[in-house]
Amino acid sequence: MANHAITVTVNGVKERVDVPSNMTLLEMLRQRLALTGAKNGCGAGECGACTVLLDGEPVNACMVLAAEVDGAAVVTVEGLAQDGQLSAVQQAFVEEGGVQCGFCTPGMLISAHALLQRNPRPTEDEIREALVGNLCRCTGYTRIVRAVQKAAQGGVE
Amino acid sequence: MSEQTTNPVGKSVPRVDAYDKVTGAAAFTDDLQFGPGLLFGRAVRSPYPHALIKRLDVGPALELRGVKAVVTGADTPGFIGLYLKDRHIFCTDRVRYVGDPVAGVVAASEEIAEEAARRVVVEYEELPAVLDPLQAIQPDAPLLHPDLGSYDVVPFIFPQPGTNISNVFRVRKGDVEGAWAQCDAVVADTYRVPHIQHVPIEPHVAIARWDLSGEVTLWSSTQSPFAQRDLIAHTLGISQGDMRVIGNYIGGGFGSKAGVSMEALAVAMARQVPGRPVKVRMTREEEFYCCFVRQGLVARVKIGGTKEGRILALQVEYYWDAGAYTEYGVNITRAAGYSSTGPYNIPNVKTDSYCLYTNHPVGGPMRGFGMPEIHWSIEQSVDQLAEALAIDPVAFRQRNCVQGGDVIVTGMTMHPHGLSECIERVAQRIDWGKKEVPSAPHKRRGKGVAACWKAPAMPPNPGSEAWVRFNEDATVSVGVGGQELGQGAFTVAAQVAAEALGIPYEWVRIANPVDTKYSPYEWQTVASRITWSMGNAVKAAAEDARRQILEIVARYWDQDPGDLDIRGGEVVSSKSEQSLSLRNLVVYGLPLPDDQGWIGGPIIGRGKFMPTYVTGLDPETGQGARAVVHYTTGAQAAEVEVDLETGRVELLCIAAAYDVGKAINPEQVHAQLEGGVVQGASSALLEALTFQDGRPVNASFVDYRIMTAVDAPQRILTDFVEVPQDDGPWGARGVGEHPMIATAPAIANAIYDALGIRFNDLPLTAEKIYLALQGA
Amino acid sequence: MLARPGLVSFDYVRARTPGEVVQLLAEHGADARLMMGGTDLLVRIRDGAVRPRLVVDLKHLPGMRDILYQQQAGLTVGAAVTMNQLARHPAVVAHYPLLAQAANSVASYPLRNRATIGGNLCNASPCADTAPPSYVLAGRIVVHGSAGEQEVAIADFFRGPGQTVLQPGQFVTAIRFPPSPAAASGRYLKLGRNKAGDLAIVSVAVLGFPDASAPSGYRFRIALGAVAPVVLRVPAAEEWLAHHPPGAETFARAADLAAAAASPIDDVRASADYRRAMVRTLTRRGLNAVADTIAAPTGSA
Repeated sequence: MANHAITVTVNGVKERVDVPSNMTLLEMLRQRLALTGAKNGCGAGECGACTVLLDGEPVNACMVLAAEVDGAAVVTVEGLAQDGQLSAVQQAFVEEGGVQCGFCTPGMLISAHALLQRNPRPTEDEIREALVGNLCRCTGYTRIVRAVQKAAQGGVE
Repeated sequence: MSEQTTNPVGKSVPRVDAYDKVTGAAAFTDDLQFGPGLLFGRAVRSPYPHALIKRLDVGPALELRGVKAVVTGADTPGFIGLYLKDRHIFCTDRVRYVGDPVAGVVAASEEIAEEAARRVVVEYEELPAVLDPLQAIQPDAPLLHPDLGSYDVVPFIFPQPGTNISNVFRVRKGDVEGAWAQCDAVVADTYRVPHIQHVPIEPHVAIARWDLSGEVTLWSSTQSPFAQRDLIAHTLGISQGDMRVIGNYIGGGFGSKAGVSMEALAVAMARQVPGRPVKVRMTREEEFYCCFVRQGLVARVKIGGTKEGRILALQVEYYWDAGAYTEYGVNITRAAGYSSTGPYNIPNVKTDSYCLYTNHPVGGPMRGFGMPEIHWSIEQSVDQLAEALAIDPVAFRQRNCVQGGDVIVTGMTMHPHGLSECIERVAQRIDWGKKEVPSAPHKRRGKGVAACWKAPAMPPNPGSEAWVRFNEDATVSVGVGGQELGQGAFTVAAQVAAEALGIPYEWVRIANPVDTKYSPYEWQTVASRITWSMGNAVKAAAEDARRQILEIVARYWDQDPGDLDIRGGEVVSSKSEQSLSLRNLVVYGLPLPDDQGWIGGPIIGRGKFMPTYVTGLDPETGQGARAVVHYTTGAQAAEVEVDLETGRVELLCIAAAYDVGKAINPEQVHAQLEGGVVQGASSALLEALTFQDGRPVNASFVDYRIMTAVDAPQRILTDFVEVPQDDGPWGARGVGEHPMIATAPAIANAIYDALGIRFNDLPLTAEKIYLALQGA
Repeated sequence: MLARPGLVSFDYVRARTPGEVVQLLAEHGADARLMMGGTDLLVRIRDGAVRPRLVVDLKHLPGMRDILYQQQAGLTVGAAVTMNQLARHPAVVAHYPLLAQAANSVASYPLRNRATIGGNLCNASPCADTAPPSYVLAGRIVVHGSAGEQEVAIADFFRGPGQTVLQPGQFVTAIRFPPSPAAASGRYLKLGRNKAGDLAIVSVAVLGFPDASAPSGYRFRIALGAVAPVVLRVPAAEEWLAHHPPGAETFARAADLAAAAASPIDDVRASADYRRAMVRTLTRRGLNAVADTIAAPTGSA
């Protein structure tokens, strides 16, 4: 089985990684780059705990082969804070109580961040629809939705 | 340390773990890095619900390159289990559910381990399976545990050797038979609750390593580091002193990570490869039936009352479909028995709660520990009786709900609590009694209410221990053994410590991860007991440290410690109005005058808590002085709209109110209530683990659906009342499980209000409702 | 058998030309599997349903991720166009809203960034969301093989669950849709167990447009998903609608005919009885919704 020498920009840093064909992007991030923010919750694209940005758009990292991302840019939850400052959506999750166990949080934040990038003033229904692929078993979603609303308002100022 | 929150108890301070969790820094067990020496384990699992193992050939697995070891039942002959030791780590001669582990393979990669596990040859002789609790209890049913009589068991569990009954709990109170004649109405019905799964978003994972020195370390995603240490050490013949369990952040537990389930597999596998860490990770598919599931239940209820609105008599039979091993589930049966009336004062009660072995997955603890299941039947039966007596369901509950001072079902006297107020509040929140207009002609609206109670279900004497240790700058490390599952345990511990010490909340650090080698003891993070029990221990430890500090400073100032206090991180004297920063003195102590030496030294406070007053119950009548430590009570109300053309239920609003004694962190209480309501609503409308001949057929997220952000009710109105618990920290008692208990029956009662159809079986799928409408 | 913890070993090739794909398929035969978004293939590899030695990534072939619209020729959607691309493309939203609705109903937003229309159709799942709209929009599948390119009408494309007419060595490069009939309106209705994000347990695509040649003045096309081995058109209902004036009664009768035509199965997701009943409900709702928008003069062609 051939390995692929790929170049991928992760959280702004250019990485050269040798990956086997059957390695997923999620495995590459967690095992090769020790970026364990994205989580493995199902391995089947259903729970969203592994959501990362691939060239700016959220994807399930368990459903992407590492070999596919040669030349691409990936952003994980570790890349959301800039210069030690939490992003608007991270800050809002802290303030509004959008976090309980924290396992869905990295994927939830990426989906929320991506939503606000494409739709800075989403309605509550739009927020909920955008998070359909991110399962949470702790919060009941209420405070997550509120946090995204708060981040959206903050982003306008 | 810019923010300084003094006296944080009762304030909604931010969580101690929030920053780490939003940045990806929070380490969960699978995130730990073990380097290239890490090995991986996979289990070989039974494809049959019930069979004898005739032959096991691990040879083909060992031939695969990269395979390091194989372990089978022959290597793990002992029994394991929390209340009843009825389970092997790997099966020896018999498998009892689809997924039962018969062997484990250790290899250089997960892929090789999986491939090798598939090469292990197992020949089975299939046996007739028991797949229904009502079948299990028949005298001629196949016997699943012929050796039941020889298993170790705790004194309050009563297995019936020679049957499939691994525990029975009876209540005989008053005269039920005599009471029926005095009732103006009697209703009887049978309710069924399917198996469901906890669905923590983080699947179970464990890494174990046997050092050549004999120390065994287990890193696991667990609610129970200490129980795992004790149980695994006991079964594998390790000293508890040599067994170390490290529990990082947990990606949701809900009971599935209590006790021991798959973690022992990792330890047994690691024994074969000394010095090498071995990781075992459940796939999502395994998660659904290879760890714990919530037990199924068949409940028969007969309840009667008078036209004055008093419930006079209750007769219930609970048949728990507890699965292949009931080591933990036996106590669910017991809890269901001693809480079988629900939160009502009923003078005549006859209860039989049976824990039954079946060839289903292993039933274990899940949020509510039997209470969501039994309240499904109780709370609908109460509505049915209210209707038969032509009394409003809210008024009926108010008239019958248990009050402080009442002698409850087990003979225990109920402590003061605020259930009546909770019922009142949820009724108000949904405008009880007001008929709402549906949003379309093909829709119907309804409202329903349900009350509930739950006591921590545990042995009589589960202990908590804590320490409080100062750093030079007067920040504090708080050692706890309870786990942070998302419920906010660490945040509460920090608040309690800060309040009791008199320092700002921001000065407290929790000494995590919990590590049984260094952390104080905690029985398990279960039963909604941590805020109360661990909270008491932390408070005691903080008070111990505070006392030490005040004694030193009193000597230093030559004053009475009783005149001193710690406020905002400074020792202050009410007598002399002196003040002294805690900095440095909490580590280095204080100099005596004239260079005459030093007093004090590093401050470490220790505290513990263990309830000492829980008594045994008579096995024939279930009566005794004090069955439980306390009950947390509450109520929920639901407003629904049903689409007659699809059967789909829209949850317009769910109101929840619970008596938490004292809300240490009000926003975290609301957050618990919201999350519990949605987990309860998800179980009400969507969830059932479905079996075909004992095989789960929907064990994946594709076909086991849980509520997403669009399904969750948009309006969840949460409230709490505070009638203090006499032995809780500042009066607090737990509420982690309770928000899930009343949700499903409140929704069912609302659907009945909308449609006039009563649903006895969960879940209330659109299909079930639509088809019932066609039959109606 | 339980799903694996990860993917079995295989080689991955990013194909650059159709010729390369043809050659790889000829060399590796059934050991090769084609991938675009991977959302189905990777799940199936994990489940053990397939065990390829070679995975050939098609999405970088020329044109595979392009959407072309011309008023005369209609719409050409590259097979590797993602659901989100489809759902957001201005020409699709303007002229084939039915297709946009269906694409937008697939799973979740992150998955829609990967899932492709070509993959959705080639997997030939009876509940594929883009299939019923493709039927009523008269889609044609562009098939590439050693003999070059050919087009297959969508109605001839599926042979059963998981089965298409594709021969070994052939693959799909695009789906073409003729211009929609003038003043057409469409609706895709889907019922899952969750409000959104689930697979369809029943889906219905309805397209309606004014047609002077029809006695009723209108023609409707109806396609049903997840209630038969392949997507079902409902000629009986369509005939009825062509001959009876639009309105509640006509639509109810057509919905009954659709329900009668369905041949659903019982499975873990829903019973046959419920599916059949929901065909009736969704068809009636779809017809009403379409009729409302055709009647409204604001709609453009």
